[in-house]
Amino acid sequence: MTVLPLAADAARFADRIRLRSLRMIAPHGFGYLGQALSSAEIIASLYAGPYRPARDDLVCSPGHYMIAFYAAAAEAGLLDEQELATYGHDGSALEAIGTERSPAVDLTCGSLGQGLSGAVGFALAHRLAAEPQARVFSLVSDGELEEGQVWEAAMFAAHHQLGSLTVLLDANDSQVDGQLSSITTIEPIADKWRSFGWTAFDVDGHDVNALEDALATAVEDPRPAIVVGRTSTVHGLAALPEGADGHFIKLPEDVAEAATAELEARLA
Amino acid sequence: MRNPPYPTVLKPYGQALVKLAQERSEILCLTGDLTRQCEIDLFQEALPERFIHAGMAEANMVGMAGGLARRGYLPFVHTFGVFATRRPLDQIINAVAYPSLPVRLVGFMPGISSPGGPSHQAIDDVALMRAVPNMTVVDVADAVEIERALPAITHVPGPVYLRLKRGEIPVIFDDDHEFSLHSAQVIEDGDDIALIASGMMLSAALAAAAELRDAGIGTKVLNVPVVKPLDEETVLEAASGVRAVVTAENHTVIGGLGSAVAETLAGAGLGRPLRRLGLQDTFAEGAKSAPSLFRRYGLGTQDLIDTAWTLLGAPGTAPRAAPAPSTPGEYAPV
Repeated sequence: MTVLPLAADAARFADRIRLRSLRMIAPHGFGYLGQALSSAEIIASLYAGPYRPARDDLVCSPGHYMIAFYAAAAEAGLLDEQELATYGHDGSALEAIGTERSPAVDLTCGSLGQGLSGAVGFALAHRLAAEPQARVFSLVSDGELEEGQVWEAAMFAAHHQLGSLTVLLDANDSQVDGQLSSITTIEPIADKWRSFGWTAFDVDGHDVNALEDALATAVEDPRPAIVVGRTSTVHGLAALPEGADGHFIKLPEDVAEAATAELEARLA
Repeated sequence: MRNPPYPTVLKPYGQALVKLAQERSEILCLTGDLTRQCEIDLFQEALPERFIHAGMAEANMVGMAGGLARRGYLPFVHTFGVFATRRPLDQIINAVAYPSLPVRLVGFMPGISSPGGPSHQAIDDVALMRAVPNMTVVDVADAVEIERALPAITHVPGPVYLRLKRGEIPVIFDDDHEFSLHSAQVIEDGDDIALIASGMMLSAALAAAAELRDAGIGTKVLNVPVVKPLDEETVLEAASGVRAVVTAENHTVIGGLGSAVAETLAGAGLGRPLRRLGLQDTFAEGAKSAPSLFRRYGLGTQDLIDTAWTLLGAPGTAPRAAPAPSTPGEYAPV
């Protein structure tokens, strides 16, 4: 039974993603928590907004973000929450980096920059099969914009007016080696996509109202659309130390306990 | 040679590259967003003016390396083995290998040493690079070989793929170990079976050999750090002196060391029963740690012992391998 949250609950849904992700990471002492913290509102807005699992396709291009989708799917009643406890352990289908066995999404890939092409394929498939109601949502990370394949997909989608396609870009300015902006200049992000023929929105990625407004407009636009969400990999958890590694957070027991208490108090 | 448990060291490659680059000003260091993981944070600190951050853009990184090499530089390109070989394969072929330029592709985290799932496991990098004309393929076993191999590969006129373990690097060989790009080495001798290994599988081959010898089986161990060009003469000599051959590689059995040995034996008309240990044409899913993957996919010391035992038709049950010592500091997939 799918229980999708009401739009007004999106902010709470986001914190539930944070808490569930924290509980998956804590037993390991490290992991991809920053990805869940930065994308929580973006994914929550999708579930609270236009995404219909039975009808639409959902793509998580950066496989390291799967933790947030496992959490969201459990929260929405689409994944047995008992399974979350197996995250990252031997034999589990819930691998830290997404695989072909990953639940909760229609496509993911641990080799970055490939998801948008798959999403374009889904959008084409819906057009060929005459399924005008079906939509395709793809989470893409800003780091992936360094890969050329993303721009090949962007050009194709605009040329073919794949209006059923919506990209949610997590612009958290984080990659393995540090701040994205210190390594490659990807700005102006929204203008780049506009110049490629997309409709683009540039919003605070932790503001669920701004995200929901942008998404509602995006899905009505006949062009492919991108919602750029400006985010932080430590958002919503004051318990994390200053300068925590956004790509791969170390989470000693005391920090994990403090972080859990903080989120539980906020959700109480 | 040392005895197990082998001591380990950190960043032997990173240190050796800095030392080499301080002597040779044409050496450049390129990174694809995995700087610390590829040990080249040391280079970034020591020689920042020759450190180039290409971002997460492997095709462009390899194409640039080709251009730099055409203008006299010696580019060392760094990322994980998967991303070094799969993503920019066409660029490796056209921008580097066809013009036979001295670009060094350095791929970390080989085979199933990564618990990061199939997208992060370089299980086919040796096969891909072996198939490319002009390419030299090196898969070293320990820190001593890394230190020796690095200066050696600078003298290769064409491109080189260097496959390196990530994290704690074992020290298996003594300081006076001789490394050559042209010869494989018989490091244990025996006349019943030959275990032929490369890279991370050498220590398992040595452990298996010890158990087999104790059980009365003459076991030869051949270390093959250079998979291409293969030292065929030593391989044939080793195989002709035993009754059966087992190869061991942290890689798919298709196209890597096992294939190279099989081609060599067949080409020479030397008939010996051969078994190839490695990934049996499969992706490796679902693990928290590398050791569990090595066990599940049949790349352990016990697998080598059992394979040799069965292949020779030895009587009774095969000896049991001593449990592998736990490796501290297992790294995360990243």
